[in-house]
Amino acid sequence: MDRECALLLPGVCAVLAGSGSSLPDDTSLEKLLDWFTGITEDGGSLLETCPCLLKLISTVVHNAASDPGVLSFTLRLTGLLAATEESFKTIQEHPVLNKVFNLQHWQEAGLWEDPCLRIGWIQGLRSMLQHPKALSFFVQSGFIDPLLQLQTDTSLFIAEAANQMLAHILLFFQPVPPAGCKGMDKKEKGDGMTPSSADYTAVVKSISGYLKESLVPKESKNVRQSLQTLKLLALLLAQAGPPLRDKLLQTVGDSLEELVTAGSSELTLPLMDVILSACSSSGTDERITRLLSSMLNINKPADLIHAAAAFLRRGHHDTVHTARAVRILLLPLDIMTGQTLLGTISTADEHQFSVVEQLKSKSSCISMICVCLSNTPQITLTPPDVLPCLPVSIVTAVLSLLRICSGNSPSSSTGCSEVSRNVIGSSKVQKCALEALTTLTSSPGAKERISEVFTVLIQYLENPDSDPTVLHKSYQALLKWTSVCTDFSFITDQLRHDLVEVVKKRVCDMRWEVKDSTVEFLGHLAGVCDSIKAAAEERDASEALLGDCSTTPLLREALQDSESYVRASAISALAKTLTHRWQQGATLTEEEPEIVSRLLEILSQDSEGFPRRAVVQYFISWYSSHSPPSSSSSSSSSSSSSLLMQSVRSVLSQGRADLDWEVKVHTLVLAELLLDEAFSGHPGYKKGSDSHHASPHAYGVVSEQAYTLHTHTATHTEGAESDLAVVVEQGVVSVLLSGLVDCDRPVALKACRLLITLRETVCPLSLGALDASAAMATVSCELPGCGWGREILKILKMKKSDQAKEEDIADQSGLNGAEEGGDSVCVSVCEALRSLGLDERMEVLTQSSDHIHNSPLSLLQDILTASATHTKPGEEVIVDCY
Amino acid sequence: MKLYCLSGHPTLPCNVLKFKSTTIMLDCGLDTTSVLNFLPLPLVHSPRLSKLPGWVSKDGSANLQKELKECAGRVFVDSQPEFCLPEYIHRELLDLSTIDVILISNYHCMMALPYITEHTGFTGTVYATEPTLTIGRLFMEELVNFMERVPKAQSATCWKNKEMQRMLPGPLKDVVDVWAWKRSYSIQEVNSALSKVQLVGYSQKVELFGAVQVSPLSSGYSLGSSNWIIQSHHEKVSYVSGSSLLTTHPQPMDQSSLKNSDVLILTGLTQMPTANPDGMLGEFCSNLAMTIRAGGNVLVPCYSSGVIYDLLECLYQFIDSANLGTTPFYFISPVANSSLEFSQIFAEWLCHNKQSKVYLPEPPFPHAELIQTNKLKHYPSIHGDFSSEFRQPCVVFTGHPSLRFGDVVHFMELWGKSSINTIIFTEPDFSYLDALAPYQPLAMKCVYCPIDTRLNFHQVSKLLKEVQPLHVVCPEQYTQPPLTQSHRSDLMLELQPPPMPYRRCSVLNLPHRRRYERVYILPELANSLVPSEIKPGVSLATVSAVLHSKDNKHTLQLVPKPPPVAPSKKRKRVLEEPPAVLAPKTLLSGAVPLEAFLATLQNHGFTEVKVEETADGHILHLQAEDTLIQLEEDGTHIVCDNNEPLRTTLRDLVLRFLQKL
Repeated sequence: MDRECALLLPGVCAVLAGSGSSLPDDTSLEKLLDWFTGITEDGGSLLETCPCLLKLISTVVHNAASDPGVLSFTLRLTGLLAATEESFKTIQEHPVLNKVFNLQHWQEAGLWEDPCLRIGWIQGLRSMLQHPKALSFFVQSGFIDPLLQLQTDTSLFIAEAANQMLAHILLFFQPVPPAGCKGMDKKEKGDGMTPSSADYTAVVKSISGYLKESLVPKESKNVRQSLQTLKLLALLLAQAGPPLRDKLLQTVGDSLEELVTAGSSELTLPLMDVILSACSSSGTDERITRLLSSMLNINKPADLIHAAAAFLRRGHHDTVHTARAVRILLLPLDIMTGQTLLGTISTADEHQFSVVEQLKSKSSCISMICVCLSNTPQITLTPPDVLPCLPVSIVTAVLSLLRICSGNSPSSSTGCSEVSRNVIGSSKVQKCALEALTTLTSSPGAKERISEVFTVLIQYLENPDSDPTVLHKSYQALLKWTSVCTDFSFITDQLRHDLVEVVKKRVCDMRWEVKDSTVEFLGHLAGVCDSIKAAAEERDASEALLGDCSTTPLLREALQDSESYVRASAISALAKTLTHRWQQGATLTEEEPEIVSRLLEILSQDSEGFPRRAVVQYFISWYSSHSPPSSSSSSSSSSSSSLLMQSVRSVLSQGRADLDWEVKVHTLVLAELLLDEAFSGHPGYKKGSDSHHASPHAYGVVSEQAYTLHTHTATHTEGAESDLAVVVEQGVVSVLLSGLVDCDRPVALKACRLLITLRETVCPLSLGALDASAAMATVSCELPGCGWGREILKILKMKKSDQAKEEDIADQSGLNGAEEGGDSVCVSVCEALRSLGLDERMEVLTQSSDHIHNSPLSLLQDILTASATHTKPGEEVIVDCY
Repeated sequence: MKLYCLSGHPTLPCNVLKFKSTTIMLDCGLDTTSVLNFLPLPLVHSPRLSKLPGWVSKDGSANLQKELKECAGRVFVDSQPEFCLPEYIHRELLDLSTIDVILISNYHCMMALPYITEHTGFTGTVYATEPTLTIGRLFMEELVNFMERVPKAQSATCWKNKEMQRMLPGPLKDVVDVWAWKRSYSIQEVNSALSKVQLVGYSQKVELFGAVQVSPLSSGYSLGSSNWIIQSHHEKVSYVSGSSLLTTHPQPMDQSSLKNSDVLILTGLTQMPTANPDGMLGEFCSNLAMTIRAGGNVLVPCYSSGVIYDLLECLYQFIDSANLGTTPFYFISPVANSSLEFSQIFAEWLCHNKQSKVYLPEPPFPHAELIQTNKLKHYPSIHGDFSSEFRQPCVVFTGHPSLRFGDVVHFMELWGKSSINTIIFTEPDFSYLDALAPYQPLAMKCVYCPIDTRLNFHQVSKLLKEVQPLHVVCPEQYTQPPLTQSHRSDLMLELQPPPMPYRRCSVLNLPHRRRYERVYILPELANSLVPSEIKPGVSLATVSAVLHSKDNKHTLQLVPKPPPVAPSKKRKRVLEEPPAVLAPKTLLSGAVPLEAFLATLQNHGFTEVKVEETADGHILHLQAEDTLIQLEEDGTHIVCDNNEPLRTTLRDLVLRFLQKL
């Protein structure tokens, strides 16, 4: 804790102690606690550094008029302070500890009703219970019973916290840490701080007794208690070591059995959770296995399916139960589609009958089928000896379910018609089935059905009643199946024709979502095809799927779409479609110049950000995949290059001036590519200024390489001169300079980084100023007399004036005034790079924008200021805490 | 209550309900699918059609070259198209001159009106809403115009010969009642028929002879479309014809008024149960855009009112997003102008949000703006202005959807040869394959997106669940899944009790029995009644009165006092004399309790009584007197042999136990 904070803290404590009413900003207490927690975790002792805290606690606790929020804070603070054995002892010397957690005290004061206080109590104790002394205190104070009561508190947060707390006590103080147990934080366990076994035994006894009691609901209204108890039990069993686990199982075993027999629907899933937790930790406990068997034999089909699904999700490898679960999950599919997935069901048993009855009700039918469907991919991956049928039959069943859903099922299907009509037209089932179908690509033998899959998917795309999300999923499935396909010979002319027609139709759809997914599909398809080509596939997948129908005209139409998302998707799809041509250095097609001019039009005129971003990205991918013109390349390929360079120049100048910061960042990425190409041969150049530490957030990342000193000789910069001239001429330097003074931090940061890289390449600071200016003096760039140009000039002037303080200020302003006119000015690039103070700027930019306002100091100041203003009557203070 | 079913077409119904003393015709739809058997009527000479080969049977025995032409393996009648009328030729089924009123539910269901009002001796009244009449008139005028502007010199009749017909191929062989098919009516007949229409507004109650009251309810299907409630004081029959729950342009359907019906006659469900209108509309738009983008023309065969308003509205929103701003839309029909204009003035018949536009004030339909901005142009026919302003690629809306007459025939001949053009069928009334048959081979792309906004099976089951009629009567087609989709058990009506199906020429005895009738009593007469309470809360009184029935209204009047007998001996007066009024006998009520009665008999000396139980009561045998007393629920008989004093004694004993009124 720094000195300034330490000085302010007593004042803050006084404010908190004195505030009868709540603080204007209720998050400040949380922030304060976070800060304290941080200090404690770093090993600092709060008690030593801030004795005022203890005073605060005793004042607040004794003040009956304290605000519940502040009280809650105090409880949690006390717990935090007493988290180590040493400080616990210190606190215990004061009478305050008993008072703080004294339930009776709070109840008598009428404050216990406030949930704020109850949660503070739990969390305070939770922080404190990190050492045996605390446990003794906890046990001796008789807190276990109130805590158990809180487990069914009316507030869900409190009930949950109480559950967590109970689990913490049992697990944390387990006598022998089991080897390799994936338990909770046990870093302090090795200190020989074994709790007094009497305390722990007492805790275990009362908690397990309670578990046993509360597990089986006495009346239907007590289901919530059972639910909470089951949750707790699952938490415990998943992490408990053998002695505790065995003890628990022994205690609650009978109750669990009773619950399984009772078969309450509400409790099925949590109960399954408990049994599976027990299973995974205890291995082959006979009793647990028996319980599991009974769970997979309950009478209510809907519950049974959920139980089976839960079992499969846990990924157990017990053959008997897996086989059982698989049969349970496949039965509804078998009934509905008439595909014999389960072989001949010889035992036309009661279970099947009751499943059919369930399936006849629409809502339960849909939910059951969806559960089955989402588990089918998992089922196909189970070992063959467990599966009642070949994995490929499951694919067939999903396909025929999809046909039923769309109402296209052939009448020969033997499925139960009374059941199947419940899913006709249900987009929920359709989506589930399509998702399942997408995942089923990885099932063994699935590829045998590929032709059928394509037919069904095209039917779905055709269907006028398909929901936009269903269409989207169909496209995804189509792509996935295309990507795993190695042989396209199954695609008939008819299939190809159908697909082409449907795609053409869907790009004209009324719903923009549909147009968007179609355009996206075309782009992804080009991507898939490229990757297939990369795998040396002789046949062109795109050609196989779409024949000689070129998708480019469709995508070009979509560039005119009224919906910005569609335009953006069309642009990126075009980029994906053309990437292959660019890589090959293919000749420029007739339409390419038209596309480019349309894209530039979008960049300069579109009112939405998405398409403009996509345009810049289009040129990024073009630039990065084009092959630079070599001597052997044909003239047409060089015409492609010249079109690219020409348009890149416009993109740079327009993207620089865009209002959207992402467009500007993308423009800088493009500029970076140009820099990379220009200077890649130079030893001083570090390619990819921030690609090595690219983080998803551009905020607050410190550049690694900007500070290394280079020791180049002048010869290094000789070749750079001409390259620099090229780069300046391309407009790259203008982009970088304008980015540097941009008000959006990510833009400025990126620009600054690139400028530093450039400086290190062409005129490193290590080089004498004279050398550098001599070498590079000839290269200059033009700054516009207004906007960013003036900003840059201003910085340059300031730097100069720093160097020559004696210069008259009046002169400066006079000079500025002269330039207000807007005449552009030429400056030497190298000089500018050196005198812009890039390194200082970088330092400022790398700090996150709220670094000043987020410091503990400012927090303390805020509290103080707020209280000062707050106490003035009649003044409404709105504190912006962010 | 009887229902005579004159049409088998579920969406073009024609039924007659006999209810109380009235005979009510419910709709008179004209089944126009018969025209599919005829060759199209081209507006300008079509070399292709005129060169079609005549039909000769394989063995050459039947030669109808003049009447029948063959095209792509199918045979068509080369004659003025004819329509299949509702069944009224068989007079034995029902004499249509006895019809009191005709209730029209929408303009699609009145196209047979002239045949009925002008040729059957009909003298009643036709009831319809104003838009139904106006648009119905437009439809009829259009039909007459289509037929009359291309007159056919010959009229084919030989093929109808029974012997001949048996030898014909394909669908012609199987069509029934061909002799009853009729050519289109004339404009005079239309005018005369429509002059019999009386306008009604929604929920307006119309008394029919005091016997029943009929009242139209909004059905949500088209402008002015209605369902009808036919009710007496104690019975209610609902007639549900083309109805829709979709929020398109018309006023929403009034469902609650259909509640508590004794009988609900259900017709006019969607003809396309598997085609969702929204999906079809989307399909329509995307196919249209796809064709225009490829430089082709789009032909939309359609009626001149109804769905076209929705199509135009949908396109209004769609053309900008699909970049079709410069593509011209043409609407060609002899009544195009009137249809577009009338739709804008029927504000009170429109759905709420269209109604509210009128107060802004804005035209309720956006086609006004399309016309203003020249995106939509309408012409009475392809001749005249249209030919000079016609620009391709374009979208043409024109009739008739059967493709047998109207301007659409011309565009089929014009565009059919090129595969870049598309014909999009939106009307569900005709099978598109049959409609296209005489144009084969056809290169044009065909898209079938039938838009039928009428109730589907899902909606109707929900509706019936809510309004809970006691009995439902419907066409037999609705009681089983469609033939082509026999696995779709969701596409039929499943009700408890099951609906009563009907087909063409069925006569149904509706299961509802009339049990009550309202009778009024004059105040003077009521005053004279002396009620006596026979059990707590129930009083009875005997009434002697004259029942007076006039205009199906029944009134109990005082019995006129016999006038003082004039000493006249004329014969005439004797005849007019009212019948002598007998003093009313007292009425008895109650039951004779067996035990108490036996005790009483005992007291009176009848000791030897043998009691025998029968199905209806008991028989008491007084053995000494050789007398039987039959005690039954609704009568007591004393059988004794010529012993009047004994009978009287016994009678008096019985009477002791009964109440007298």
